[in-house]
Amino acid sequence: MAQKSIKKGKKQRRIIDTDIHERATYAELVPYLDNPWRRYITDNHWIQEKHMPYTQPTVAGVDRADAVTPDGGAAGTDLAFMQEQLLDAEGHEYGILTGALDPSPSSMHGWYEMGAALATAYNNWQIENWLEKDDRLYGSVHIAAQDPQQAVREIERVGSHPKMVQILLPIDTRSWGDPYYHPIFEAAERHNLSIGMHHNEPPTHFGGWPRYFIEWHTMLPTAHMIEVSNMVFNGVFDKFPGLSLIMIEGGFTHAPHLMKKMDQQYKELRHEIPWVKRMPSRIMQEHVRFTTQPVEEMTEKEFMQYMDQMGSEDMVCFATDYPHWDYDSPLEALPKLGETLEEKIYAENARASYPKLPQMQGSVLT
Amino acid sequence: MREVVCKKEDIEPGKMRSASLGKIPVVVCRTKDGEFYAYANRCLHQGAPLSEGALCGDTKRTDIHGNYEYIRDGEILRCPWHGLEYDIKNDGCMLAEPEKKLRSFNVTIEDEHVVLYK
Ligand code: FES
Repeated sequence: MAQKSIKKGKKQRRIIDTDIHERATYAELVPYLDNPWRRYITDNHWIQEKHMPYTQPTVAGVDRADAVTPDGGAAGTDLAFMQEQLLDAEGHEYGILTGALDPSPSSMHGWYEMGAALATAYNNWQIENWLEKDDRLYGSVHIAAQDPQQAVREIERVGSHPKMVQILLPIDTRSWGDPYYHPIFEAAERHNLSIGMHHNEPPTHFGGWPRYFIEWHTMLPTAHMIEVSNMVFNGVFDKFPGLSLIMIEGGFTHAPHLMKKMDQQYKELRHEIPWVKRMPSRIMQEHVRFTTQPVEEMTEKEFMQYMDQMGSEDMVCFATDYPHWDYDSPLEALPKLGETLEEKIYAENARASYPKLPQMQGSVLT
Repeated sequence: MREVVCKKEDIEPGKMRSASLGKIPVVVCRTKDGEFYAYANRCLHQGAPLSEGALCGDTKRTDIHGNYEYIRDGEILRCPWHGLEYDIKNDGCMLAEPEKKLRSFNVTIEDEHVVLYK
């Protein structure tokens, strides 16, 4: 497995990037699918229903304009270019792949049979073309979560792969605390996998799509807040004490508010949910992690105020979201935070939340 | 400091290219009316190379909700990452926060060559 060393003179920082998008084209997935699924793509021209009611009014759609591959391919389709532009350039220790947005087997409308077939194909494609070709890359198990039995079978099939570290769940009409999904959490615990939430499915708000993309993108965290409170209040972490949840691409600055709010509600209304046995903020401190991206511009003082209010320095993990337009640079996106906290945010918090990542022993990786 | 970038016709109106002035990365832009401007090729937000973005226009400010008018095509430099916009005809001011501006450089045409000065 070829790996280049970090560029000389570049500031060294251990980086575990918790959100990198590799992209499969439909054509690349076809060889990994059996019939009739393959035929639905090649003959019936199936593409996934993914439409937003707006264009992405950015320079190059969903992607960074400079992430187009050297041969003009879509951003995220070329491992060598991603190595050059991201992993080598920024000196990544590890990166966690969170999948293409389209097709995205973790988020299917209705046709779960196709979703399950696509998930299997996608996982095989991911392992062969990315995870087994770069030591630094770790992966996410894609499942069609709306069919939990099939999903559990897929987790049993690939979940023990040494480089699979989490299971992605969709943001959909049924929130994740619902007992419907609990077999998936049980399988996650069994395989030491975290649960990751990423809006591979564009989350709609209660009330449907807002009129403008700027509203939708601003309010992404609301979808995250719903899932976190749903999981906590439905007792998921009481029932699965080994489970950890990574909320990807919602930022983290909404978290202090949510923790405070949920604690207050718990004091007032806890008798409604007697299966929840601790303060919600305690549960979140232990089980829930938030990625930084897309981070707001902040001074160190502002950043530290959020940390203080969360009552923990363990809950925030760095993410670039490469190659998307709202990418955050590992050296520019956050204010200076001091060595100890930077180590945690850029690497150690993620290492602690993904038990299958190589752990540090003293200063040596195992 | 002086640096010859390229021939004048190498940058068509409405296009841009990256260059350097000593060690400083620069983006040289040519507006549709043929004027040249040069700015530091580093976004004020997270440092993305602006020359990888777009020279585009703006939507005119309006008091009428729902009213769109596209103006100033080729005069706005837009970052390839988060899309912050800089007004190349107005000293590189950021459209959203005009008190922030890109560092600018003098650019002249000498013998049909584009030349940068600091
Ligand atoms: S780096 Fe240019 S807009 Fe963020």
